[in-house]
Amino acid sequence: MIKTALLSGTCIALMASAAGAEIKVGFIGSLSSDTGLSTLRGAEIAIEELNAKGGVMGEQITLVSADTGQDPTEGVRAYEYLAETEEVDFIISGSIDDVSLGWLPRMQEYRIPTLDTWTSYIGIIDMVVEDPESMTPYFMNIASDEALATLYINFGADVLKDKMGWESVVILAEDTAFGEAITGLVTEALAPVAGIEVKDIITYDVATVDFAPIFSRAQDTGADFIYQVSSVNSQVVSSQYVKLQVPMAMTGVNVSALGMEYWEDTGGAGGGISTLSPVPSVGFKLDPASQEFVDTYQAKYDSRPLLPHFNGFNAYHGLKQAMAAAEEAGGFDNVEAWAEAMKKQDLVLDMDGELWLRYAFWGDDEVEPVTDRTYPHNARFDLSEPFDDAQPSMVVVQWYEDGTAAVVYPDKYATGEFTLPSWVSE
Amino acid sequence: MGLRWFHFALWGGLIAGMFLLPQVVSNGTLRTMIFANYLAIFAISWDVLSGRTGYVSFGHPFLIGIGAYTTAILTKRFDIPVEISIPVAVVFTMIAGLLVLLPALRIRGSYFALVTLAFMELLYQLVQVIRPDLTGGTRGMSGIQTLTRGAANGYYLSTALMLAIAVSMWLLMKTRLGTALSAIGMNEESVRGSGLSTTRLKAFAFLTSAMIAGLGGAFYVHYLGSLAPRALFDINFLFTIIVAALLGGTSTIIGPMIGAFFMTFLLEYLRPVLPGAERYFVYGAIALLLYMYQPKGIVELVKRGFKNLSKGRTA
Amino acid sequence: MLQILIQGLLLSGLYALIAMGFTLIFSIGRVLNLAYGAYLMVGGYIYFWVSQSLGMPKLIGVAVAAALGVLMGVLKYRLIVKTLKGDHVAVEISTLILAVVIQAGIVLVFGDSSKILLPIVPGVINVAGASVTFNILIATLISWAILLGLYAFVRLTHTGRAMQAVSMDAKGAAISGIDPDRINLITWGISGALGAIGGVFFASYTQLSPSMWVAPLIISVAVVIVGGIGSILGTLVVAHIVGFLEVIVVATLAPELRGVFTMLLIIGVLITRPQGLFGREEL
Repeated sequence: MIKTALLSGTCIALMASAAGAEIKVGFIGSLSSDTGLSTLRGAEIAIEELNAKGGVMGEQITLVSADTGQDPTEGVRAYEYLAETEEVDFIISGSIDDVSLGWLPRMQEYRIPTLDTWTSYIGIIDMVVEDPESMTPYFMNIASDEALATLYINFGADVLKDKMGWESVVILAEDTAFGEAITGLVTEALAPVAGIEVKDIITYDVATVDFAPIFSRAQDTGADFIYQVSSVNSQVVSSQYVKLQVPMAMTGVNVSALGMEYWEDTGGAGGGISTLSPVPSVGFKLDPASQEFVDTYQAKYDSRPLLPHFNGFNAYHGLKQAMAAAEEAGGFDNVEAWAEAMKKQDLVLDMDGELWLRYAFWGDDEVEPVTDRTYPHNARFDLSEPFDDAQPSMVVVQWYEDGTAAVVYPDKYATGEFTLPSWVSE
Repeated sequence: MGLRWFHFALWGGLIAGMFLLPQVVSNGTLRTMIFANYLAIFAISWDVLSGRTGYVSFGHPFLIGIGAYTTAILTKRFDIPVEISIPVAVVFTMIAGLLVLLPALRIRGSYFALVTLAFMELLYQLVQVIRPDLTGGTRGMSGIQTLTRGAANGYYLSTALMLAIAVSMWLLMKTRLGTALSAIGMNEESVRGSGLSTTRLKAFAFLTSAMIAGLGGAFYVHYLGSLAPRALFDINFLFTIIVAALLGGTSTIIGPMIGAFFMTFLLEYLRPVLPGAERYFVYGAIALLLYMYQPKGIVELVKRGFKNLSKGRTA
Repeated sequence: MLQILIQGLLLSGLYALIAMGFTLIFSIGRVLNLAYGAYLMVGGYIYFWVSQSLGMPKLIGVAVAAALGVLMGVLKYRLIVKTLKGDHVAVEISTLILAVVIQAGIVLVFGDSSKILLPIVPGVINVAGASVTFNILIATLISWAILLGLYAFVRLTHTGRAMQAVSMDAKGAAISGIDPDRINLITWGISGALGAIGGVFFASYTQLSPSMWVAPLIISVAVVIVGGIGSILGTLVVAHIVGFLEVIVVATLAPELRGVFTMLLIIGVLITRPQGLFGREEL
């Protein structure tokens, strides 16, 4: 039994190395989630377009995928499979935070150029700061989550305080590292900058099924609105908010509301919810180049996600940038040269003569003025009006009760108004 | 004790074969074999407790998790060298094994299986709540020290560990102690009737199983470099361990090893054909069909095959 | 205080409904059906597909889910339980494998992102400061109705009394002319239907996800263990113990500890009183 397994193992390995005369891209992520599929399809379209133009360095690009099933251990195996069985040149990832953290040690070992398109975990950028040598192959082309809270504070000052006149908040945060980090960032700045008092912080377990008692507690605090921080199963919180018709406004971070399928998945119990979202989001006005990508996408795929999530755009543009960097560096083999070339990639997408989106990276020592820190190997973002250096790290998205969605903040990108659910009185 | 020269020859052949393997196969295959080795360790550990004594454990990830978490926390949070943290992890796991033994003193069968499942779920919830600064909470831990770099080194280490455990368990099971353990699985009353202390025997089985689980869990986490409660205390992980032991053949040593290699390579070889979610479906369905076809496992199938062969020859 | 009482009652009603089908199989077939959670999951997903994706009336959705539950129960009895000839451990392990296969099947068909069921009965009332959805209120009422119906069925009908007999002593029942095979088949069918209907309510209360089968399985296990074999009344009482325990822990201690006490209860009861709090009563 073992022998046959070994024999067939060698055969597969031989076949893999025989077909090595091309550029091989590996995809790592969950093949059954909207998140994973967005990255995979973004990469597929980019590769098709590059191949149609004659490939890269005269060679055609092929794509192999490795499913993680959103399990960190499977993620390690998937990375090993791409690295050692498929021997890929470059890896594009649509992994969630935990999975990326799982395979990062493998990346440091194999030193394969790798681009993360979904996870925005600031801890990974901190690893680049602390250990730039071993993190050379790593790039993250989504704004890291440190920048997320900053935008939210501005939203609080401009809209929640000035426009809605709200002065106090109760934070409803899930009990995860993500929840803790965002809660910390928001509470530290909300009071001094936006002048909104934090009345209470309620943490809940991600496996919570019944939010009725938790919403009762939130109402008892007497705060003006609820700030939700949920990344895991966040549609449960918001749909129960809708089902229970909690008579109190709620906004915040609701990761499941980032895709078009949110409406179908909640059966419509999702109106009135607003959330921060990386760009481009649902309801986001697209520049011509990104719109063309979406048109190609929708002509090619008719299964969910019908609109690629933000990471699909990141993968589409990011893969092309990685290939351009390889062309400059003479391939992917010299990781240092590739990384240097990757850092210089800069794609500015205009809309009506204005900068709309920008796919570029921070310089290694460049200090972002608002947060006063560096973001090496992280996507470039802009935290202050008029967003002429890059796009904002996040926008605020509003789902209306008729199932449509719009961007409501910042003003430059807004396509709709911030509203309250019909059952909440002002 | 029924030790024969050809037993040693077979083991010797297997050991030599496994250590020569890196000369022949690709690194990708070695990586898969590393996972197979660890799964084999877990399956052997499960078999010592459940396959032999009949006390079916549905909570084996509980033991593995104690070992993995102990060494991960000690090395990462307190900078204790692995030479100390791994033995401590094994000791902690054995203490946890005694905890599992408590209910086994009074109940068996389905009830015992359920209580072990409760142990696993309890630990799953506790590591997320109690001292998340140490355990990493829901997210788990990453950046845990790894012992080896490269496929071949990881392979040699895991193979050495797996074979050392397999051979010592095999020798142990050849002693009267091993026979007595299997007898508990067949009929606990009659073992008690023959004047042996079943409590002591069970304690021995549970401690041995926990020791192997602790060793395996500790080395496994130092191979992965990360650990996540959701993946560790998961019914899918439990399923893989149990099925590896059962498909190979319980109450043997080679059985869980064969089962572990079969399950790991099955999943890996399905990858190029079925990259997506179909893979787990087909993988589970194959496991179910094989188990339904022969609950005693591959070893039993091979034995029968040999019997038929020799029958055919004499006839 | 009143809030805890209301929320506890509602949650416990739901738990009783979930655990019922599991108890039934354990009482009569003496096997643990570890794929029971998967019945609930399939029930929930089928209801979602029929009533929310296809837009059919909700009652049809529930009926299709229940019918599929019966089918799954019957098939499992015929193909797995009978084939393994009552080897309990083998049945338990094969149902565990089956549950994992069903989970993979759900990911395959529906993807792994969570889905929200619309309330089966929409609307909210406010009682003593607690928002109570009609949905869970109805779930609790239906749960009570089903439990009472089941109690009456077991007590009053011929088939029900035959089930009781098989539960107490399968061999004796066979001698007195009852066909245990038929009774088992009926029981597996009923259990499947109960599971699927429970799943619709459980999912409309929480959410649909491919890993949702573990939580109701654990709840069922807790109820069966703490309640003891074969007691409908025990199931009802213990469902309330587990439900109230959770609500009280969430309200007074910390929401994160919600499941911990249920586990401790299972372990504690099994170690000190293996036959469960209500011992072995008649069904």
